[in-house]
Order: sequence, then C-alpha cells, then structure tokens
Amino acid sequence: MNRGTGGGFVAAGFSLLFFAFLFGPLIIMVITAFNSSSFPRITPWECFTTDWFGVLFGDNRLMGGLLNSLVIAVGVVAIAVPIGLAGALALSELGPKLRATLYTVLITPILIPGVVLGISTIVFWGALGRSVGAGYGSFFFNGMFLTLAGQVTFISAYAMLVFMARLQRFDPLLTEAALDLGATPGQAFRKILLPFLGPAIGSAAFLTFLASFENYNTTVFTILSDSTFTTALASKVRLGTDPSLSALAVIIIGITLIGAIVHEAHARRQEALRTGTAPRSRVYGNPVLKTLVHPLTVFILLAGAAGLAAYLGSQHDASACKAGILEEKRARQQQLLDEQRKRIEEQRKQAAPTAPSAAPGKASPSPFGGAFNPGSLAPNAAPAPAAEPPKSNSPFGGAFNPGELKPE
Amino acid sequence: MTALQGLFRTFAGKHGAGTASFIGIAVLFWMIFLIVLPQLAMLDYSFRFNLPVSETGGPNDVYTLDNYAYFFQGNDDTVNTLDMGILVRTLIAAVFVTLIDILLCYPIAFILAHSATGVAARLMVIGLIVPFWVNEILRAFAFRVLFGATGLINGVGLSTGLWDQPIDFIRADVALYSGLTYAYILLMVFPIFNAVEALDRNQIEAARDMGASWWRVHWRVVLPVAKPGIASGATMVFMLTAGALAAPQILGGPSSLWFTQLIYQWFNESANWQRGSAYAVILLIVCISFVMMMMRVFKVSIGEIGR
Repeated sequence: MNRGTGGGFVAAGFSLLFFAFLFGPLIIMVITAFNSSSFPRITPWECFTTDWFGVLFGDNRLMGGLLNSLVIAVGVVAIAVPIGLAGALALSELGPKLRATLYTVLITPILIPGVVLGISTIVFWGALGRSVGAGYGSFFFNGMFLTLAGQVTFISAYAMLVFMARLQRFDPLLTEAALDLGATPGQAFRKILLPFLGPAIGSAAFLTFLASFENYNTTVFTILSDSTFTTALASKVRLGTDPSLSALAVIIIGITLIGAIVHEAHARRQEALRTGTAPRSRVYGNPVLKTLVHPLTVFILLAGAAGLAAYLGSQHDASACKAGILEEKRARQQQLLDEQRKRIEEQRKQAAPTAPSAAPGKASPSPFGGAFNPGSLAPNAAPAPAAEPPKSNSPFGGAFNPGELKPE
Repeated sequence: MTALQGLFRTFAGKHGAGTASFIGIAVLFWMIFLIVLPQLAMLDYSFRFNLPVSETGGPNDVYTLDNYAYFFQGNDDTVNTLDMGILVRTLIAAVFVTLIDILLCYPIAFILAHSATGVAARLMVIGLIVPFWVNEILRAFAFRVLFGATGLINGVGLSTGLWDQPIDFIRADVALYSGLTYAYILLMVFPIFNAVEALDRNQIEAARDMGASWWRVHWRVVLPVAKPGIASGATMVFMLTAGALAAPQILGGPSSLWFTQLIYQWFNESANWQRGSAYAVILLIVCISFVMMMMRVFKVSIGEIGR
C-alpha cells in the first residue's frame, strides 16, 4: 500500500542505512573504550581492559570543569526558563505585526553563530565594567558570569519555543471562565495557565540544562581562563587523544539509554492509564508485569545492571594480557632496532661519522641510548609518532611510543 | 512609551500586575542587555584600534576601518586572498553540508510521518534523539576514531586490500564534512517532519489514483508542503555549520581552516579582540545576507523558522 510514496523495502533499507550512520560511529567509539591500545582503535585488538575509566576519573581538569559546568547549567535553567516563558507569553498577546517583529528579534540568537554571541558578550560586559570603573576581579570579568550571560541569550529562545508550542494548545476560554467566576487575573494565571504549562516547564528545564552543558562555541570565548567540562574535553581532544574519552562516551551513552528507556516506560504507562485500556491490556492487567514495567522498577533494574557492570569492570585485571602485548612489542622493537642499526652502520660507512644525538630517550630500554630515537635519526620518517598518532604514517606503528613501553 | 503602557495594561488585565511586570522586565532585559546591546558593543569594538589598556578611552582611541581593511587587503595592501578564501570555502562547505542533510533527512522525515507506525515510529524518534544527547565534542571524536590513519575505515580498507597506503581522511576533509553532516541531522529532520506530518494522506492517494509516478507525487504534492520545514531546517543547519568551531578544530585538516577558527585565533592567539570582533561581524553579516537571499529565492519568510 505504501509503494510509490516511500514505503516498502526501499524505505526500510534507507532507514537502516540512516540509523547505521547515526549509531555506527558511537558504537565504534564505545568499543574502543575497552581496548588497551593507547590510541582509540578497534584494529588491532590488544586486550580487554577497563583501565581507561580510571584514567578518566583521574583527570583533574575534566572533573573540575564538570563542577563548573553543572553550576552554570543550573544557573542557566533558573534564568532561561522564566525568560523563555515571559517571551512566549508576550508573543501570545501581541498583535500580528508587533508579534512578527518581536519574534524575529527573540529568535535571532538561535541563528547567530555561537562564536559571535560569545564575543559580543565578553566585549559588552567588559565595556560596561570599564565604564562603571569596576576592577578586573569584579563579575564583569568573571568567566562563570559571562558564560551564564552568553548562554542565557540563546538558550532562552529554546525554552521560548517549547512554551510557544504548548501555549498554542491552550484554550483561552478557561482563563475567561475563571475571571467570570470572580478570580483575579493573578489568580487565574497561577491556577489555570501555570499548571497547564507545567509539563512544558519540565521539558524546557531539561532542554536548557542539556543545551548549557553541551555548549562549546559560546562558552570557549566567555569562560576566559576557567574551563567547563566541554572546553576541557575539547582541549584534551585537540592535544592528542586516548581512549579515556571513549570511556566517557560509554558513561554518557549509558546514562542516555537508561533515561530514554525509563522515559519510554513512563510514556507508555501514562498512555495506557489515560486511554483506560490499562486493566484490559495484557501487560498492565497482570499485577506482576505491571510492577515490572513501572518506570521506577525499570529504572532500578537498569541502574542495578549498570552498577553491577561497573563493579565487575573494576574487578577486571588486564595486566597479564597487557604484559604479553608489551613483551611482543619489546621483541618487535628490538627487531626494528637491529634493522635500523644495520642501516645506520651502512650509512656511516658511506658518510662521515656523525655525533650521536645528545638527548638520550628516557623510555628506550636499549643499550644504544637515544641514538636510535626515530625522531633524531630518521628525518624523513613521520615526526614523533607518539605525539600525533592519528596522522602517523610511520612504518614503526606505535612501537616507539614511550607510553607503551613504560612498565606498568 | 504610551504604547508600552498600553501593552502593560493589556497584560495586567489578563494575567495580573505581578505577572505583567515579570513579563515586561524579563523580555526587555533579554532583548536589550542580552541581544541588542552586546551586538552593538561588538560592532563598536570592531571599529577601534587594538590599544594597550592604559590608552583605552584616551586620545588615541578613535574609530578606524583598519580591522575591516585588513580582511580585504592584508598588511601590505595586496588582496588578502587567504582570509577571503577561507570565508568562501567555509560558506561553500556549509552549503554542501546543508544539501547533504536535506537529501538524507527528507526521506527519513517522510517515512517517519507517513510510513512508520506504532513501535517502529517510536523507536525511530528515540533513535534520532539519543545520539544528540552525546556531547558535541565526543561526536566529533567518534569521527576521528573512525577516520584516523589507524582508524577503523583505514584498518578495514588495508586488511581487505582495497587500498595499500592509509588514506588521510582528515587532511582530505572527509572526516570534517561527515562530522558536520552528522552533527546537525536532528535539526533538519524535525522541521521537515513537522511540515510533512500536516499533509493529508488522501492527497497522496488521490495523486496516485490519477496515475502520478512516485517522484511526481513527491515533487508536486509532498515537497510544496515540506518547503517551509526544509527552509527552516536548512537555515539552522547552514548557520550552525558556518558557525561551527568544535568540529573544525577536532576534525579539520592541518592545512585548511574554518572561518570561526580564524576568529578564534585573533582572540586567543593574537590577543587582538578588535580584529576578532571585525571578523565576527563579517561572518554574521555574510551568513545572514546569504540566508536572506536564499529565503527570497525560495519565497519563505523568517516567521516560519523555528516552528
């Protein structure tokens, strides 16, 4: 029946490909969190390990940023939700012409690039601070305050959109009825309109929290010398990567999935209760199944499973396997060193003897000091394979990475 | 002023004086202190010299077109092809990413609105939303894992013998474009979905009964309904892609910069905020004019954005 309008096998195939694109990168990232290789990758697989979670929690900058992010996010929710509500209410009462103008002004922060918002925020508050003679210690030059101001500017617009969608379904007759029955306008607002907007307040708070926590483009400018979780994460990724970031992704995706499943259980239960089909339905009519699919039970079960997985993971010891891999690498490195020594001796025979490099490689266990450090001797090989693994075309693979040679 | 008072009275009559003053103060604060004044301050700043703090506000602190002139001429009065090239490249890449997103998301939005039912539809919605709860930086990182020289794609390609040297996807910007396409999919799917959902199925059935082929049904019946949604999604994706900073920083090749990275460099590496502001103003104006132009071409109004 759907043939010709996008249904059928073609649609199913396209959807599958689409979702493969959506989830593929995330799944691969999750798998790399458990590989002991010091660069996040699946091939070659070395050892199953949970050590990267430990590395993640040991990262002080990231954990400090997490605290800053949470403080800012709570502040943004507390300010952006009321502002968004006010904006939506103002728009709902204006005449069509004024409404269009105000809507354009209030929606632009979503469209302005985050970089521009961040810059305009620090420039404006800095100028304001200077013009009132405030010192550099004052809040005008405080990264947390500026981030709050910059984020509220556009996150309020998200909240406003949520409230506008809900307000469209509001029946103004309800307020009029309340006024006719003798309620003051204030009472009508508090007892009729606000309760109606309740669910929207919840989802706006959630959305604004997430938007604030995730924001990078604005925050990277406004945070000045501090750092939030996202900016710390970004500088970590830019400076070189290790699988502890994948471990972070595992945690975030885990929390997200638990949240989504619990929300789904909640939505289904609400629907069954509302439509009144609950007592007759196969699941909700059965007392055992009914408790089992209650959102709270679902949450406890999932959280328990996650806790168990975390406990089992913390007990897992990959050191034996890692030692094996290390041994293998040592052997391979020794082989490469021998090959290189031969090559260098041939070179020495051809050219005038050159002085050995002055800086001995600390990690090199070989008796040759730093003389065989690939960086100092092989200028045409890719420089420093350890520092820039993603771009490394070096034939030595990771064999000269000092991190991999360090005894655990 | 009288107009404002009139407005206030309307609100007070409807929701009470307390609520009315809350609405008035919140909206005015948002509009003036968070939206309008900061943009004006940035504009003002972009016309000033980069002076040491002691000279700010002094006799040397005058207006100048220097920062804008630099964008066009560079230091030595030759044409600044480097910076202008970066801007043009950023815009072209953003258009390219937007087009890919439209092609990817239109079918999915249509399937979601008209073909998928019950459990499948709910799963699709959850499947669309869940990846976007993962941090933007981590999503870019996932693409680096995928496309790196020792990443999965190179690993598979090398081991199956499709190619014998690792392909540098990062340098070729393949990783960047994929990452940007991925990053804003959700913002394209939902506006199109909202628009297409309003379409009456009977119209499609009628067109089919009249003998229209499937592409004709889409072209003549579905697309006109989807157009505001596509415009809305395309505007958001284009603006966000052109203004993206994290993905180019993480996935961008070493030899190619994104215009936002240039702004970032003026601020954080050259400590020249004035020139950075000028570049930010240029980005803003160019992007907004481009979107306006496109809206005029496709006959959509800004009021339809964000629905």
